Amino acid sequence: MPHIGLGRIYWFSAAHRLHSPSLSDAENFMIYDKCNNINGHGHDYKLEVTVSGELHPETGMIMSLAELDRVVNDLLKTMDYKHLNKETEFFKNHIATGEIIIQFLWQELNKRLPRNLLYHLKLWETNNNYFETGRKNR
Amino acid sequence: MEKNVTITKKFEFSASHRYWREDWSEEKNNKEFGLCVSPYGHGHNYELYVTVGGQVDAQTGMIINLTDLKKLVNKILINFDHKFLNLDTPYFRDKIPTTENIALVLFEQIKLGLSSLSGRLKLSGIRLYERFDLFAEVWEEI
Repeated sequence: MPHIGLGRIYWFSAAHRLHSPSLSDAENFMIYDKCNNINGHGHDYKLEVTVSGELHPETGMIMSLAELDRVVNDLLKTMDYKHLNKETEFFKNHIATGEIIIQFLWQELNKRLPRNLLYHLKLWETNNNYFETGRKNR
Repeated sequence: MEKNVTITKKFEFSASHRYWREDWSEEKNNKEFGLCVSPYGHGHNYELYVTVGGQVDAQTGMIINLTDLKKLVNKILINFDHKFLNLDTPYFRDKIPTTENIALVLFEQIKLGLSSLSGRLKLSGIRLYERFDLFAEVWEEI
């Protein structure tokens, strides 16, 4: 039987500053360069969320799209138009790199979505760089 | 180590559909399907990405001749393009033409077409965009 996935794309805009408290200011600047800018900077993030599972025999859907939107938007609301380091609990003590943001999103969405449905995440920080995580093995 | 190579080609078609179950009340249909219950259907410009895997032919340097792939897929899509999927195709008499179900139907047809073209070709997956922010994906383990 072929596998089936449903993907949906979302956007949020946020500011961050990449700065590790365990490194000196000079080291931070050397590693993070312009992303270390003291007052932060921002991106329009684009997030692709893919769920995968059996089709519901009556609706022909993996899950209700309205429900998926509600779960994802509830989470993104906590980050949209925020300075991640200063205004979100998680990133007060985690570095807001794309890698860590996508791991945070995976952990939160996996907790909030029906069991085992979350399959893949792709997070664009700009048009030219993106991060991926999930169960995809292709 | 053996490397996997795939080739992906994009196709487009436009169609209308409606989500409705006769065995449900109007209220339940509305609750479950929202705007998609609109009585005469509504439409989308679908974008279909077809990904084919297999060995790269030593002489042509290709997995599949794209002209052949184009012919094969377009022959299938002609039955979907500018149609009302619920009534003008036989596939959605007993199932809702959700993005997921349309993708499953297309996957099976393209898979069949590829296997009759050559036993060495493998449909590695398809991705069907219903809108720029919504897609269904079908794949089989290689």
